[in-house]
Amino acid sequence: MITEIGHYALVLACALSVTQALVPLWGVWRKDEALMATAQPVAVMQFIFTAVAFAALTHAFVSSDFSLLNVVQNSHSQKPLIYKISGVWGNHEGSMLLWVLILALFGALVAVGSRAMPRDLSAAVLAVQAWVSAAFFIFILLTSNPFLRMAQPPIEGQDLNPILQDPGLAIHPPLLYLGYVGFSITFSFAAAALIVGRIDASWARYVRPWSLIAWIFLTLGIAMGSYWAYYTLGWGGFWFWDPVENASLMPWLAGTALLHTAAVMEKRDALKIWTIFLAILAFSLSLLGTFLVRSGVLTSVHSFANDPARGVFILAILVFFIGGSLALFAWRASSLRQGGIFAPVSREGALVINNLLLTTCCATVFVGTLYPLALEAFTGDKISVGAPFFNLTFGPLFVPLILLMPVGQMLAWKRGDLLGAAQRLVVAASVGLAAALIFSALQGGPVLSVLGVAFAAYLIIGSFVEVWGRITGPGVSLSVAWMRAIGLPRSAWGTAFAHAGLGVSLFGIAAIGWGVEVVHALRSGELVPLGRYELSIGALERRNGPNYDASVVPIDIREGGRVIAHIDPARRFYRARQMPTTEAGIVTLGLGQIYVSLSELNADGSIDARLYWKPYVALIWLGALFMALGGALSLSDRRLRIGVARRAQTVAQPAE
Amino acid sequence: MTRKGRRLTLIAMALGVLGIAVALVAVAMRDTIVFFYGPTELAEKSVAPGTRLRIGGLVKMDSITRGEGRSVTFVVTDNNRDVAVSYTGQLPDLFREGQGVVAEGVLIGPAQFRADTVLAKHDETYMPREVADSLKKQGMWQPGDAPVKK
Amino acid sequence: MIWVVFALMTGFAVFSVLWPLSRQRRDVTRREIETNLYHAEIAGIERDVERGLMTSADAAAAKAESARRLLAQADQVPAVTSRFSVKLAALLAICVIPALSLGLYSYLGAPDYIDMPLQARMEGKGDDLDIAAAIARIEQHLAREPDDARGWEVLASVYRQLGKPASVARAYRQLLRIEGPSAQRLFVLGEALVYANDGRVDAEALQSFEKALAADASIIDAQYYIGLAAQQRGEPQKAMAIFTKMIAEAPPGAQWVDVLRERIAQMGGTGPASAAAPAPSAGMPAPSPEQDAAIRGMVLRLAERLSAQGGSAEEWSRLVRSYAVLKDIDKARAALEAARKQHQGEGALFDALAKELGLGG
Repeated sequence: MITEIGHYALVLACALSVTQALVPLWGVWRKDEALMATAQPVAVMQFIFTAVAFAALTHAFVSSDFSLLNVVQNSHSQKPLIYKISGVWGNHEGSMLLWVLILALFGALVAVGSRAMPRDLSAAVLAVQAWVSAAFFIFILLTSNPFLRMAQPPIEGQDLNPILQDPGLAIHPPLLYLGYVGFSITFSFAAAALIVGRIDASWARYVRPWSLIAWIFLTLGIAMGSYWAYYTLGWGGFWFWDPVENASLMPWLAGTALLHTAAVMEKRDALKIWTIFLAILAFSLSLLGTFLVRSGVLTSVHSFANDPARGVFILAILVFFIGGSLALFAWRASSLRQGGIFAPVSREGALVINNLLLTTCCATVFVGTLYPLALEAFTGDKISVGAPFFNLTFGPLFVPLILLMPVGQMLAWKRGDLLGAAQRLVVAASVGLAAALIFSALQGGPVLSVLGVAFAAYLIIGSFVEVWGRITGPGVSLSVAWMRAIGLPRSAWGTAFAHAGLGVSLFGIAAIGWGVEVVHALRSGELVPLGRYELSIGALERRNGPNYDASVVPIDIREGGRVIAHIDPARRFYRARQMPTTEAGIVTLGLGQIYVSLSELNADGSIDARLYWKPYVALIWLGALFMALGGALSLSDRRLRIGVARRAQTVAQPAE
Repeated sequence: MTRKGRRLTLIAMALGVLGIAVALVAVAMRDTIVFFYGPTELAEKSVAPGTRLRIGGLVKMDSITRGEGRSVTFVVTDNNRDVAVSYTGQLPDLFREGQGVVAEGVLIGPAQFRADTVLAKHDETYMPREVADSLKKQGMWQPGDAPVKK
Repeated sequence: MIWVVFALMTGFAVFSVLWPLSRQRRDVTRREIETNLYHAEIAGIERDVERGLMTSADAAAAKAESARRLLAQADQVPAVTSRFSVKLAALLAICVIPALSLGLYSYLGAPDYIDMPLQARMEGKGDDLDIAAAIARIEQHLAREPDDARGWEVLASVYRQLGKPASVARAYRQLLRIEGPSAQRLFVLGEALVYANDGRVDAEALQSFEKALAADASIIDAQYYIGLAAQQRGEPQKAMAIFTKMIAEAPPGAQWVDVLRERIAQMGGTGPASAAAPAPSAGMPAPSPEQDAAIRGMVLRLAERLSAQGGSAEEWSRLVRSYAVLKDIDKARAALEAARKQHQGEGALFDALAKELGLGG
């Protein structure tokens, strides 16, 4: 009965989303307060029902209810509890349900927080949001229903794809979806502004937290996905320019651009139309990402959904929303009033360049991802566009971006002083140069690594120069500096951390060039040198898990004859799916990692393995965490949340 | 500067960045893109030896021979034509006879290929799209065979 | 019960629309919001000046810009509420939401399906007819105590009911191991193997039949299968000799004699025949109503699964064949059509099947 209640709740949520898509919009058109007011409670109710549906499906997975086709196909009674739960979104149907759950959650949050918004704007936002959710509810119910039942329930399921049975994959999709779907809110705001025909700095303030939330989660989601690929696929790489990865990178680039123009708009009321366009773009690219992953049109390690009917449906959704919003944009954008003016050399100007570079980067990724599909559709030729393409196009565009990031932070609004900014950055530039000299002397190695580290050092230091200048000065005591640091707006700290985070990641990426890679047949009892460490290989053991059998090679890591760490790289064989997987043995030493990935067992009893020493590799993901932290700091800056913060003081009347 | 002047500066800047990007993409397209062929296409197109490309198909039954160290040779087939592939390195987890495979490398002679990367189909439900298409073209593949979420 | 819950849920959904429609509200006006925003902007500009991010001249200009914006917002149109629209919207909510959700659900849902959590099934709390759970329980028990002959017997009979001959054979192998050979057990094992192999008598089956016959010469059916094996091996002379002997020894009026005659005629005319299905009722009683039901149930499940999830060409062929055996020609044709649609590359295979079963194009 719980399952069927969940199913019915999903259907009801769909019906409510249709209502929410129509009635408030009718209200906006008729300027009718009562009709507009329906948006908020319906949005909340829609979320409650979607949550009920999701909870019911989770219950079915946890209790191994094999009368659900979806549970049979993706679960197994012997699976650990965490993977029973993550199995809910480890498959196509469930992941789409998670998608709408997050969509409904954000809709409900907008509804709850919309008291301080003009009624017509919030009604239009929620209506647009409901259009998106209605499309996805219908998609789920008609093509990807997770609640289909089986008349003759089998006694055991077919298990979740073993490469998805991993803590990383348990949280990667929710993070990514929080990001993707977060951009649906900014999209709804953009479409609502076009519908209402009014856009101003207050609009930017409502959008700001949402674009930040989406960006934070997308950053974390991408980093998590990258780390997952790094340690489960056993190839030791952290980014493969796989179309599915690109699909998440594109909205991130567009979203980063949006974040920055929204700042301009909020502060200076400028770049309105461009901001609207970016909001549409970020969500369109999120939808495109969903389409690419879910329709299986790509040659990609991620394509586990493979149903053309679904592909066509998502394509229809994609065309409807992108086409519809762009048409709305073309029709209404000219009616929006132009805002503030600024000189080319100013913070606004720097942000414009940032936007130009980011969107162009995004465009090259777009071309590299979709060109093979287009070429094949038109000529039938199949090509693969891999890392070399992206390194050659994306790389050169990213370099000026890195160079300009600290400069932009230094410039004043309206009219800036380029020379002054450059002078203040001399410190950062010299640290970069010093880093280059030190590392080329210590490590030698590829020129690109040395250059990369130089840029990274420049960026990290440069990000904090502005903040540093605010809090210190000649004769400023430590306690005063501390007070000033605390008094500084959190958004300033946020900017510094996020920018420095990119530098940290860049450092980790550059350091790849100094890594050591050895392919070796491991034998019990031998010592294998790896960088400045020695690996002492133990005897092959069998260790069986709940739903797999594993062969493990215990390895002690020694430095100077002393054992400092232990790893257990393994090969697992999942019984239900009859599938082998490689579990890399990874240990973090300082900021570097030792990474051992096993391969075939040879006839003579030795095991082929890849052994890596990757100095500073942890910085790649640590940098992403810094970026997210910067976003969170910025988000916590209450001064920028006008509507909510001020209302309590100025509006004396009770809310009801 | 006037409003118009500012706008022109902006547009010029945008065009400049865009121009650089287009140039980069054009160069990259020429130099870094790798074509994909099935064994039959490879024979028909008479690709010059030394060309870098990807080939895909099924690993022919009983064709894997292991040589010195980690070197291995196998035959990629679409059940019409075969290509002999030599490779030195670790093979992916799911590399097996009768399964789909994609190899990237250089053509060293007619139907002779030296691979530097070998990708197996990633799990039992995943067939590289290129392989599926190529086999379909040869009439060897039925939709029912691709285990669509068993 | 479940419909009561559904009604309540629908009620909540409709209420979420009706409630805001009926309510008087006092909200923050646009004016207040704009004023708040103006103050915030001025504060922000002052902060920027303080931090040196803006010169005081630029700040004055920026403040003026904000003030102009505030004034420009004054020309707003007050919102209204129309009684008519509210009534219409309420009516729509009351009609459309239940109609849409109940309509969709009745199309998609399965209200009479209960939850079947695995643990409850294994403990037998759920549906009494949960055969899969019952089997799993017996299997688990036998995994712990593989020498429980009674358990294997029960399991074998359940598997026979479900039409899973390979599993019946597995159970009987265990029975033979535990209880030693008997003519009856050997024969059942052999026959199960024949069914599991789609009518082919393999080496193990043949051996079982021969041993069964050696233990008890009265098991005529075993003779029949030995003859069938000979026919399948391409030794029609030997097969005919066995069948002829059986006919000669047959009690008067035995119906299966006709089947044997038919087989002999077949071989006489066409020479060695290839693998043939076992004669449906040679020496066997006609399927009891229960057995018939079991077979039909099995076919039904196969059909359900194939139409829901699809299946291999082989599975479809099996379904078509099963319908043909059950003399359900219309369904066989329909299944053949569906199979063709799903496996367009296998036209030849299905043509051959249609011809063999006399289903026409």
